[in-house]
Amino acid sequence: MYIGGVILFLFATQIASGVLLLLHYQSSAEHAFESVTRIAGEYPYGDLVRGVHFWSGQLLVATLLFQLVLAMLRGTFTAPRELVWVSGVLITTVAAAFAFTGSVLPWTEDAYAQARVGSQMAGYVPVIGGTLLRLLRGGDEITSQTLQKVFGFHVAVLPASFTLLLVLHFYTIRSAPRVTVNVTDDEKIPLYPDFFVRMAAVIVGVLVLVISLATFVARPVGSAADATAASLASARPTWFLLPVHALLKSAPATLLGVDSARFIGGALTGLYLLVAALPFVDKRGSRVTSGITCGALVIAALLMIHALY
Amino acid sequence: MSNDEKSTSSSGRRDFLGLAIVGTATALGVTAAVPGISFLRPDSRRTIGTASAGKVHDFQVGTGRMVLLDDRPVLVIRLPEGGFRAFLAACTHLGCIVKYSQERNRIECPCHRGVYSIDGGNVSGPPPRPLEALKVEVESGEIIVRST
Repeated sequence: MYIGGVILFLFATQIASGVLLLLHYQSSAEHAFESVTRIAGEYPYGDLVRGVHFWSGQLLVATLLFQLVLAMLRGTFTAPRELVWVSGVLITTVAAAFAFTGSVLPWTEDAYAQARVGSQMAGYVPVIGGTLLRLLRGGDEITSQTLQKVFGFHVAVLPASFTLLLVLHFYTIRSAPRVTVNVTDDEKIPLYPDFFVRMAAVIVGVLVLVISLATFVARPVGSAADATAASLASARPTWFLLPVHALLKSAPATLLGVDSARFIGGALTGLYLLVAALPFVDKRGSRVTSGITCGALVIAALLMIHALY
Repeated sequence: MSNDEKSTSSSGRRDFLGLAIVGTATALGVTAAVPGISFLRPDSRRTIGTASAGKVHDFQVGTGRMVLLDDRPVLVIRLPEGGFRAFLAACTHLGCIVKYSQERNRIECPCHRGVYSIDGGNVSGPPPRPLEALKVEVESGEIIVRST
């Protein structure tokens, strides 16, 4: 319950701060970096708005991932809640796409490298990869067209999808029977005022966290993208893609006779589809799923540490 | 009995109307989706162009330089033993932009630590293929890179 409220609050914060940024941001490759530098340095409270948008976005992805992992550990994804699970996975996917496209928009050197690598990885999705790559890039190469596409996705396609999926998600939650995890009648509280007050306290806590991060963690914009400069050795994707980065970096040229990047792209697509279809694969929410989830968490954490060195 | 008949025929009509609405909506959806998707998906265009990498006398021996050719980054190298080489600078692994390392006399991709020889061959790390070589010509003191 509280997590759902936090997610809604973070999304509302994203919209509010996002609209403010949108009014100053310029989406051409020529002016994007400059406009972000101006937002960060010149406009009153610009850096705060930028920080709030960034951190509430990161927290949104983290909260959604946390909720998915929790459901996998508890086995609460099974029928009749399978649609709750599938819409939850899709919402998390859209949030991740938000974070990725958002990291490309400033068109810094890092952002440019991310656009190159990210669209290439999209090209390795089996069957639809080639179409996906050209659609995302707006052609075969990374150009101003690519930034325009990323911008359109970030401010129109993704927000619309996210809203529709949220509606579907809350609708499926309402129509599916509640899963009560060890709640006795004594522990139940009235919706108003008790629950509202507690929820308000949680949300104020989240707000304080977001504003503190935005105020005290310095996030320099970086340097402008340059198509005629070598990529930076320090370039790293957004935090939740670090395990993938570690895999891509450590893999040999080919795996089982396939280019390693293509192999990893195919394997990740398969893994994603398996997770999305989990309620239909594991119909009882068995211990095996919990065990595999724990193992996957440990591996992901190790890969993240590896990616940072 | 007449009541029964009525309800069957009306449910039949309802089914038909329902089917008609779903069918029409699907047809409209597909009709809109085809031009919509085609609109977003540009045609692959490969133009044969040229780009200048500057004058020969400005280009130090044993250094690399980057130029854009049809939106594509190209790495031009003047070899320590003289002569020029040009490659598409997109790493064959995941498309990061490679660089020429003077002290190690090889080409490196910084993103995932790919290494290529000075001839563009993939030596170590994740790159699966050699870099794509381009033609370099010197025309009246100017270095011209040509896409093939």
